[in-house]
Amino acid sequence: MTLAIDGKEVTVPAGTLIIRAAEQLGIEIPRFCDHPLLRPAGACRQCYVRIEGQPKLATSCTVPVAAGMSVQTQASDDEVADAQRANLEFLLLNHPLDCPICDRGGECPLQDQALAYGPGDSRFREAKRVFKKPIPLSPLVALDRERCVLCARCTRFCDEISGDRFLELYARGAGERVAIAAGEDFRSPFSGNTVQICPVGALTSVPYRFAARPFDLTYGDSVCPHCSAGCNLRVDLRRGDVVRHLARDEYEVNDAWLCDKGRYAFRFPDSSERVTTPLIRDHGLEPASFGEVLTSIAGWVDRGRVGVLTGGRLMDEDYYALSKLARTVFRTNDLDHRRDHGAGFVEGAIAGGGMPVTYRNVEEAKVILVAGLDAEQEVPILHLRLRKAAERGARIVVLHPRRTRLWDVAEHIPCRPGDEAWLLEKEEGRHRPEIESVATAMREAGDAGIVIAGPRLADHPQAVDRARTFASDAGGRFAYVTRRANDRGALVAGVHPWLLPNGRSSIDEDRAEVESVWGPLDIPDRGRDWRGILEAAANREIDVLFLIGVDPLRDYPDAALARRALENVPRKVVQSLELASLARYADAFLPAAAFLEKEGHVTTWEGRGQRLQRVRDPLGMSRPDWEIFASLALACGGDLGFETLDELHEEMGTLLAPRATRHLAVADTGAAPTPVEDGELLLFTYPLLVNDGRLSEGADELKAALADPPFVEIHPNNAGTAGVADGSDVRVTTAAGEATLPARVTEHVSEGSLFVPFDQAGFAANTLLQGRFSIAATIDPVDAPADEDPVEVGAGGAA
Amino acid sequence: MSVTFERRLTRDWDDPGVIAIDGYRAKGGYEALKNALTKEPAAIIDTVKASGLRGRGGAGFPAGVKWSFVPTTTGKPTYVVVNFDESEPGTCNNRELVDRDPHRLLEGTAIAALAIGCRTAFIYVRGEYLAQSLVLGTAIGEAYEAGFLGTGIAGSDVDLDIVLHRGAGAYICGEETALLNSLEGFRGQPRLRPPFPAVEGLYASPTVINNVETLMSVPDIVLRGPEWFRELGTEKSPGTKLFTISGKVERPGNYELPLGTPLRVLLEDVAGGVLGGRSLKAWTPGGSSTPLLTADHIDTPLDYESVAAAGSLLGTGAVMVLDDTDCVVDAAQRMTRFYANESCGKCTPCREGTWWAERVLGRIAEGYGHPEDLPVMRDMGKHIMFRAFCALADGAAAVIDSSLKHFSEEFEEHVQLGRCPLQVEHEEVAV
Ligand SMILES: Cc1cc2nc3c(=O)[nH]c(=O)nc-3n(C[C@H](O)[C@H](O)[C@H](O)COP(=O)(O)O)c2cc1C
Ligand code: SF4
Ligand code: SF4
Ligand code: FES
Repeated sequence: MTLAIDGKEVTVPAGTLIIRAAEQLGIEIPRFCDHPLLRPAGACRQCYVRIEGQPKLATSCTVPVAAGMSVQTQASDDEVADAQRANLEFLLLNHPLDCPICDRGGECPLQDQALAYGPGDSRFREAKRVFKKPIPLSPLVALDRERCVLCARCTRFCDEISGDRFLELYARGAGERVAIAAGEDFRSPFSGNTVQICPVGALTSVPYRFAARPFDLTYGDSVCPHCSAGCNLRVDLRRGDVVRHLARDEYEVNDAWLCDKGRYAFRFPDSSERVTTPLIRDHGLEPASFGEVLTSIAGWVDRGRVGVLTGGRLMDEDYYALSKLARTVFRTNDLDHRRDHGAGFVEGAIAGGGMPVTYRNVEEAKVILVAGLDAEQEVPILHLRLRKAAERGARIVVLHPRRTRLWDVAEHIPCRPGDEAWLLEKEEGRHRPEIESVATAMREAGDAGIVIAGPRLADHPQAVDRARTFASDAGGRFAYVTRRANDRGALVAGVHPWLLPNGRSSIDEDRAEVESVWGPLDIPDRGRDWRGILEAAANREIDVLFLIGVDPLRDYPDAALARRALENVPRKVVQSLELASLARYADAFLPAAAFLEKEGHVTTWEGRGQRLQRVRDPLGMSRPDWEIFASLALACGGDLGFETLDELHEEMGTLLAPRATRHLAVADTGAAPTPVEDGELLLFTYPLLVNDGRLSEGADELKAALADPPFVEIHPNNAGTAGVADGSDVRVTTAAGEATLPARVTEHVSEGSLFVPFDQAGFAANTLLQGRFSIAATIDPVDAPADEDPVEVGAGGAA
Repeated sequence: MSVTFERRLTRDWDDPGVIAIDGYRAKGGYEALKNALTKEPAAIIDTVKASGLRGRGGAGFPAGVKWSFVPTTTGKPTYVVVNFDESEPGTCNNRELVDRDPHRLLEGTAIAALAIGCRTAFIYVRGEYLAQSLVLGTAIGEAYEAGFLGTGIAGSDVDLDIVLHRGAGAYICGEETALLNSLEGFRGQPRLRPPFPAVEGLYASPTVINNVETLMSVPDIVLRGPEWFRELGTEKSPGTKLFTISGKVERPGNYELPLGTPLRVLLEDVAGGVLGGRSLKAWTPGGSSTPLLTADHIDTPLDYESVAAAGSLLGTGAVMVLDDTDCVVDAAQRMTRFYANESCGKCTPCREGTWWAERVLGRIAEGYGHPEDLPVMRDMGKHIMFRAFCALADGAAAVIDSSLKHFSEEFEEHVQLGRCPLQVEHEEVAV
C-alpha cells in the first residue's frame, strides 16, 4: 500500500501501522507506549499525527495505513506539534525531574523526547504526586513509581511476551501505578526485559543502580555466552569492568529480549577466582611464562597419549583450532565436547546440515513437537519464540518428563525419562496412541511442522534419531537443540571422537577431504567419547588430559569416575578462565580470554554463526583459546598453519563451506521403555537456568531472585507409596550414592520418576549418577530434626 | 405549554404489581417475545431499524443498525450485553426503570438476543446498584421458572440464558469496551477500536451492547410496530425518552417525554421550575459529560439534533440545573473531580489533564487563582478534548471548555477578587 507521510511516499504491506511506515522513511515520531513487539496500546498519546480528512488527530501507533492516505507529522503540521508539546507537558506534571540521579539519565526516551518535542518550561504550580520509592519488585528489579509514565510496556511484556503476569496496573486516574501482588516477587526469568523497555527510569536493575552514567561507558557488540539461544547483546564496561548487558535488537534471533541469566550473570569475567597468568606445577602451582608452560606441555605430549575434554562454550575459531590440534599434533581422536550420546547416528548430518530450523520457522510454524527440552530453563529465548508461535496459533506439544513453563500454551505429554524414543517410534506401522494426534497434525502441517529434540533425548542412544525420523516421516522440519552457547560450533568443528569438521566421518573420501587441507592424518577412525576418555584416564591409558573450559568434577554426570580420572592421569592441563576445584589437580594452567575479550563467532542452536566483537583486551596474560592452541602446536613441533584470525577464517571457509551431506546408514535396533526394578524410580536431572554454574559467579542478585534451593520432585502416587510428605526430607539412594533433599510432591513430574536439579548450590547431583543424566533410584522418608541443615550431600560427594 | 401524550416506558410505573412476572404478564408482558419468536431475526432487526430507535446510553447510535453489524457466519457465539452501569453524573433513569419494571428489560434483552442469534446474554450492573441487582435476580429467577429463559424459551426451540454481573464501581466500566474487559475479569480499561464489539466483543466474539432504556423500548416496537413508535418524538429522534432532572429544581426526578420537548417544558411545566423561584443559570442536557448550556438555551428542544445545534449533546438526558446562587467555578471543580477520580489512568491527557485541571480549578475557587491560570485552563480543555483514548476525557474537557466559554467573567472575578464573587463556600472534599 502506498501512502504519503509529510509528502514523502512509501509503500508498505497492508496492516502496517503508520508509525512503522514513518520509520521506513526515516521520519521520527515521538512515542512511549509503542513497542514493535507489543500489541498497540494507544496509551501515552505522544505519537499524534494528522490523517488528512479526519477531524481528530490520530495516534500513529494504533492506526494501520490505508492506500492513498496522507499523513502529517509534527514536522509539517503545527497542531500535531502543539499536541505533542502539550502531551509532554502532561507527562512531566507528575514526573520528579530527577534526571541527575536517575540511572536512565542520558539514555532516556523521556528526556530525549522532552528535549526534542516538549515545551521549554512547565506551567504547573501544584504539588506533585508522591509515592514511596524505590519499591523492590525482586532482588533484580526496583520500581520508582514517580518516574513512571504508565505506558504499560512492562505489564504488556509480562502479559504478551513472557506470560509471567507479575506486573499489573493498579488503581486509576493519577493514582494509577504499576504494582505486583502483595507478597509476590517478580520471579520471572525474563524480568530484566521490562527494565530495558521501560522508557523512563521507573524500572531499574538492582545490579546496575547507580553503577554508571551512560557517558562513562564503553561498550561493544557481543553474543550471550550462556546458552545456545545466541542472544545479541551489548556489553557495557565502566573502567574496564562489565557493569551491564543489554539486549540488542535482532529480529531473526532474540527479537529484543534477553533472559535474566544473560542479562545479569555478567560478572564472571571479572571474578576474583579468575586466573590470568600461566601456571606450572613445581611444588605448588607457580606462575610462569607462556613459553615455559607450553614447552613443558610439549614435553608431556611428545611422549604420551593425549585425551581432550571440553564443553560447549568456546568460539567456532577456538574449536576449529582445537580440532586440528588434536588430530594433527596430538594424533588422536580422543576428544569430545559432549557428555552424553549427543544426537547419535545422525550427528554428522546435523553437523553438516546448516540451519534446517530457524527462529523464524518456529515463529511461523503450525505444529511444534518439543521433545526432551525444558525450553524456559535451558534455552529461554527459544521458549519465548515458542510462546510467540503459540500466540500466533501454533499447536505446541511438549513431550517431557516434567511439566515445563509452556504449560499454559501447550499440550503436555508426560513420559518417564528415557521413554521418549519408545513413544516416538511406530509400532507395526502405527504411531502410539499418546502421540498419534500430533503425528497427524504434523503430517497436515508439512514443513510448517517442526520437531525440536532437546538434551533429555541425548541421554539415550537412539532418541534423537527417532525424533528426527518422526519429523521426516511427516514431512516436517527437525532441530536438535543443545544447551550450551556453542555446543553446535564444537560439533561443526569436529570436536568429536568420530566426526571431523562439518560432520565428515573419519574414513573414506570424508577423511580425504580433510587431509587435503590438514595433511595426512595419523589417527584411528574412532576415538573415545567423554566417558571413554575419563575411563581411559582412570585406567592410566591416557598420559595427558586436556581440560579446556570444563571441570569434570562438576560437569560430568559421574563424580566418582571424574575424580578417579583426575587422580590417576599423570598430567592434567587446564585451559580456562579459572582453576576452582581443579587447582588440586592441574599440572599446567593456560589462562584463556573471556568471550568479551576475543573476536570470533559462535553458532546458535539453529546453526547460525554470529560474530562477537572484542569488547576489551584480554585480562592479564590471558589469550584467546585458538591462539593458545596455535602456540602449543608450534611448541610441540607442529604448525596449525594460521597466525591471524584472517588466516584461520580462510581455512575454516574451506573445510566448513556448505556441502551436500552424505546419507548415513542408521542401524535400527528398536527402542524399548527404560526398564526399572520393582520399587525403583527413575531419577533424572538437568540444570535449571539459575544454578551454581561458573558463569554465574558473582551474579548474587540473580541467584537471590531466581535460584531454587535443592529439592527433589516426586509424583504424589510415588510419594504416597514411600510415605513421603510434601516439604519433608527424603533420602534418595542410587547405585552411585545418596542424598537427603526436601521433597516437592507434585503432579508436574511424571509418575515413576524423580527430578533433581543439576549443579544447584549445596547439592551436586552428579554424586548420584553413573554416566547418564538419569538413573534408577529409591526414596525413603527421613525424620530430620527441624534445626538441621536441610541438605546434606551423601557419600561420594564431589568437592 | 404543557405536554399530553400516552406514557410508554413509564406507563406501568403506578402499578407495583408488574414487578412480579404475573403482574407483568397480566399487562401483556412477554407477548412481544412470543411474537418475535415467530419472526426471522432479520425481520426483527428491520423492525427496530425502521423505528429509528437510538441508543439511550449517550451516543444515540441507531440500535437496529448496530444489530445489523453483527456477522452471523463467524462460527463464534454472539452475545448481548446490557449496559446497566449507569454512572453518568445526574443520571438515574435506568435505575428507576429496573426498579419498577424489571421484566421489560429481560424481554427486550431476549428479543435482541433472538435478533442476533445469541444464546447467553449478560447484564452488567453498576456495583452500587445492589438493590437493582436483587430485583433483577428475582425477575430472572421468575423468568426461568415461567419458561421465558433457559432451554426452549416460551415453548420454542431457542435457548437463552441471562447472566447478571455486578461491577465493582467504576464509571469507566460503562464505556462499552472497558465494560467488556471488566466482564471478562480484566482491568476495566477501554480497548482499541477497531475491532468494534459488533465484530469482536465479549470473548472476541460478535457482541451487541445496549443501554437498559434502549432495550426496554424494544418490546413495544416489536408488538406495535415502527410507525407507532415514530408517532412521538421527531423525525430523526423518534420516540420518548426518560429525562432525569436534578439540582436546583422544585420536583427533581425521572420524567418520560417525547424527544424534542423543549427544556422549558421539562423544567417549568414538568419539574415545577427552578427551586425557590430563582432564575436558571446553567444546565447540562445529558449529564456532566455534555457541555453546559445557559438560560439563553431554555427553549432548546431536547432531541439529538437540536441540542447539538445549541453546542452540547443530549447524552443520557440528565438535566442538572444550576441557579443564580451557584458558583460555576465550584461546580466545574466538583465535576472535574469526578473525572479525575474516574479516569481509568490509561492515557496521558485524561489521567494527567483531569488531575491538573481539578487542582487549578480548586485553587481558583478558593481564591488563589493566578491570571495565567485561565489561559492554562483553556489550553488544557483544548488538549484533552478529542485527544484521549476514549470519550470519558471528552466529557471532562466539556466541563472545562463550556464553563470557561459561558462564564469566563466569573472565573476572572475569582482571580481578581481573590475570592468567590458569589460568596459560595468552597468545600474541600477529601479525594
Ligand atoms: C466514560 C463512558 C461511560 C459510559 N457509561 C455508560 C453507562 O453507564 N451506560 C450506558 O448505557 N452507556 C454508557 N456509555 C456509552 C457506552 O459506551 C455505549 O455507547 C452504550 O452502552 C451503547 O448502548 P446504546 O447504543 O444503547 O446507547 C458510556 C460511555 C463512556 C465513554
Ligand atoms: S514502569 Fe516503565 S514500562 Fe512500566 S508502565 Fe511505567 S514507564 Fe512504562
Ligand atoms: S480517556 Fe484515557 S485515561 Fe481517560 S478513561 Fe479513557 S482511556 Fe482511561
Ligand atoms: S506511542 Fe502511540 S499512543 Fe503511545
